[in-house]
Amino acid sequence: MWTFKQSHVAGLRAAAAEFGEKTGIQVRIEAYTPDDAYSIKVQSSAMTGDLPDVFEVHSDGEDFVYGAAGIVEDLRGQIPASWNNRFNPAVRRSGTVTQDKYEQSLPATSTSHGAKKGARYSLPFTIGTFGIVYANKAKLAAAGITRPPATWEEFIADLKKTKAKEPRTGGLSLGLKVPSTGLNWIGQPLAFAQLGKDGYESLYGREKSADWGSPKGVKVLGAYDKLTPYWMPGTQTLTIDDADQAFAQGKSAFDVGGTFTLAFLQEAGMRADDILAFGLPAPREGAVKDLALGPIALTGLALNDASPRKDEARKWMRYLSEPDVAARFSKAASDLSATELGAESADVLGPNLARLMATFKGTPENTYNPYDTSFRPPTLDMDEAGAPLIDMSPLRQTGPAQTGLRLRKLIDSYWKEAR
Amino acid sequence: MTALGTSSSASTPRTVGAAARPSHRRGTPGSRGREALTGYLFIAPAVVLFAVMGLYIVGYGFLLGFARWNGFAPHWDWVGLDNYADLLWRDPVYAPRVHEAARHTLYVMIAVPVLTVAVSFPLAVALARVKRAQAVLRSVYFLPYVTSGIAVFYAWQYILQPDGAVNYLLGLLGLGSLQEPQGFLGNPATALPTMIVVTVWTEVPVAMLMYLTGLQTIDRGLIEAAELDGAGWWRTQVSVVWPLLRPITAIVVLLTLRSALHGFQTFLIMTNGGPGTHTDVLGLEAYRLAFLSKFAPTLGLAGALGWMLFAVAIVLALINLRALRSRV
Repeated sequence: MWTFKQSHVAGLRAAAAEFGEKTGIQVRIEAYTPDDAYSIKVQSSAMTGDLPDVFEVHSDGEDFVYGAAGIVEDLRGQIPASWNNRFNPAVRRSGTVTQDKYEQSLPATSTSHGAKKGARYSLPFTIGTFGIVYANKAKLAAAGITRPPATWEEFIADLKKTKAKEPRTGGLSLGLKVPSTGLNWIGQPLAFAQLGKDGYESLYGREKSADWGSPKGVKVLGAYDKLTPYWMPGTQTLTIDDADQAFAQGKSAFDVGGTFTLAFLQEAGMRADDILAFGLPAPREGAVKDLALGPIALTGLALNDASPRKDEARKWMRYLSEPDVAARFSKAASDLSATELGAESADVLGPNLARLMATFKGTPENTYNPYDTSFRPPTLDMDEAGAPLIDMSPLRQTGPAQTGLRLRKLIDSYWKEAR
Repeated sequence: MTALGTSSSASTPRTVGAAARPSHRRGTPGSRGREALTGYLFIAPAVVLFAVMGLYIVGYGFLLGFARWNGFAPHWDWVGLDNYADLLWRDPVYAPRVHEAARHTLYVMIAVPVLTVAVSFPLAVALARVKRAQAVLRSVYFLPYVTSGIAVFYAWQYILQPDGAVNYLLGLLGLGSLQEPQGFLGNPATALPTMIVVTVWTEVPVAMLMYLTGLQTIDRGLIEAAELDGAGWWRTQVSVVWPLLRPITAIVVLLTLRSALHGFQTFLIMTNGGPGTHTDVLGLEAYRLAFLSKFAPTLGLAGALGWMLFAVAIVLALINLRALRSRV
């Protein structure tokens, strides 16, 4: 089995050893990092027929690409309810080409063009969400902050306090060298909280009265722009890992990432007690005041369509979904398994992971769901869309109004291309 | 007996020189056949290698430029010249990206050759006059070329960061106003010029070495004649040495133009086209379309862009060749 996450290796190897003892089936775990290198490795191995039996994929995107190309097995009808019901209800259909996903695959320029409606190309393995803020407790204490901010305005005020206390190391880090991060991890949850579900989805639509260039869109961008004075110097030149590393080294007071960031911070030497983690707070006057961040399947397991050992591979995939195996993996990887761990999950996962899981609890009205992209142009490149935001904040090249117009033009070009 | 006759005797091994003689002087038809066969066998590995690694890949890439494919799907969609049209003007998503990257590339193509010549020629002239430790100095200036690689570009990245060595040094020298709080790669105004400087840093060693070699081939008599005519050092360099080294300048310009047009690894590692899109260049754009497009079916666009870059490179080479001819 292959994975692209180094933090998963120890947990997977421990599970493989136990699985080998119980069944006699030997599983070898290999990791290829970072993500880009992994993608190219899978691409070239698929061409030469050297793919492993099972491999970890980015859920609900990459798996569809492989499925459309006939590289991975269609698992439809092969996963009994007794297996599928182990997963968190929010991700039980992950890997499935739903009607929305099928429609997005229809343009010839879509990455998943050719995916079959109803097919299931992966099973959920880890879950999580974006928009998780990590704060350095010591820096908060030095600035007189004792609790997580309840609103966006309080968050900005806290940033101001930490920056005032430590002008060079009191700000916010985020890996903006990957331009989509600012939009995906802050801009979108903020827009959802400010405008509500419909207003947020309209930002990517074709109606000029409600898109990013409209007064509503500009208002969201204005709120985002409040971050501008508080970015860590040079954060726009850092990769995601670099930004997390900078936070772990005390170069910033806050860091934004996903649930998966916790594992990296611990690997980088931070102790759980050093960190305060919380979901991105909503604006005081926003349409959604108690913002919840919906869990999505972050990674999944795909079965190589050409595998000569499909039965053994399926047994291994099922073994990984067993609650006790998943719990041990979660603890070892500091990552959230897709398997439901029940009421005891807080004890099993520890306080930090349990706190992150608490950010998932919401209603359909107040839960931002990063998985749902059905309202966006099907081929929209989020890195492309993130670039105008960087020009506004932290680079100060443009203001919210101009950024809104640039986003409108860009999104419109993707709609035109999709026709 | 002539030397020619000696070498044609059956007891003497054939030499390269023998093969170049007129055919009527060679041995029997049988021996000529064996000689030709030996020759073909010698060049066969290179021909096979070129056929497999060169022609096949070039041909494959050329065909890819007329297709839509993501590298996975079982079949290509043949789109004819669409990829070229999409990149140049038609596609609302890709054409603006290519135009912006082309503008940045143009800046690099102008600045890198000019700066490389401006730095390497005086450096070579100075080095040629140094009598002591010339070899050591030459090695020092050649160091960037032999150490160029990913590690060096990462090192540059760290040096240019907000808390990096360049800002530290400027502060130490009392030049705080020249410090760049966002880092030299983080400010859109300094990012591209900084990348140009790093590129020039990698190009200077070879250019300097070529100039140095050229300087050593200049007939001392010409210099002495100029000096006898009353020309000073500066006038000699400008009116005698520089014109004589024009063919080398043409080669240096050609090589640096090629680097500026096709090179992207420095940009990929140090900026990835950022901040935002302020250092996006065509080579990086082609690489991104091929390998970093999250499986979008853009391999054909990458192929088309690669071939357009190739065409531009050929045109520039021909122009340069023409310039070289007229000056020699």
